[in-house]
Amino acid sequence: MEPPDVVPEPAPRPTAVPGAPAWARPMVMLPALAGCALVGGLFPSFSKRATFAVLLFGGLLVWLGSSGRLPRRPVPRRLPATAAWWLVPTLFLAIVELVNFLLGSTYQHPTLSVLLDPVLAQYPARAAAYFGWLTGLWSLVRR
Amino acid sequence: MNSLTRVLAIGAFVVAFGGFVAVEWAARREGSRVPAIGDIGGFVMRYRAGRLPVGRIGVYGFWLWLGWHLFAR
Repeated sequence: MEPPDVVPEPAPRPTAVPGAPAWARPMVMLPALAGCALVGGLFPSFSKRATFAVLLFGGLLVWLGSSGRLPRRPVPRRLPATAAWWLVPTLFLAIVELVNFLLGSTYQHPTLSVLLDPVLAQYPARAAAYFGWLTGLWSLVRR
Repeated sequence: MNSLTRVLAIGAFVVAFGGFVAVEWAARREGSRVPAIGDIGGFVMRYRAGRLPVGRIGVYGFWLWLGWHLFAR
């Protein structure tokens, strides 16, 4: 008897960590992080409230990640040689940033900070970037 | 007014971030042997010096500095 032609579907990429507590699921955490971003984005740069908000939200997530309350996603024990592909954009970005920094980080030779400052001065962009920063940290603390 | 150097710098940043997107896209393709950015981060965070989680401290420290630099400094 010939084997069937049907190839089983690959398992979908998991979106939730098995065994995660109910409050750590995306349905709960994403709205919570969005709320934090909406609040954190209200505070202007160079204010004590902005520093406090970054330390509070960031510190809280780092504490959660270090407390052992969250199950960790599996991590590879070794990286294949193909991981070196990540060095291409990383080194390129580092060189571009370094060259512009050494040229004075001015309007004519902008670093990323100089380019992003006027964008992040607008509340919607600032809150969206804050949300990206928080979700990135949330992703890191679960690894 | 945008000078040539400014346009070149912005273009270089766009190319760099496009590179990150391209590698991540390649990593997420079915059967890809390229690890995703999350795997790279997780691998770096595994690094320990004795009992000290040096990799985790370094990655968390960088991310917190990035948030402070973008939103508070």
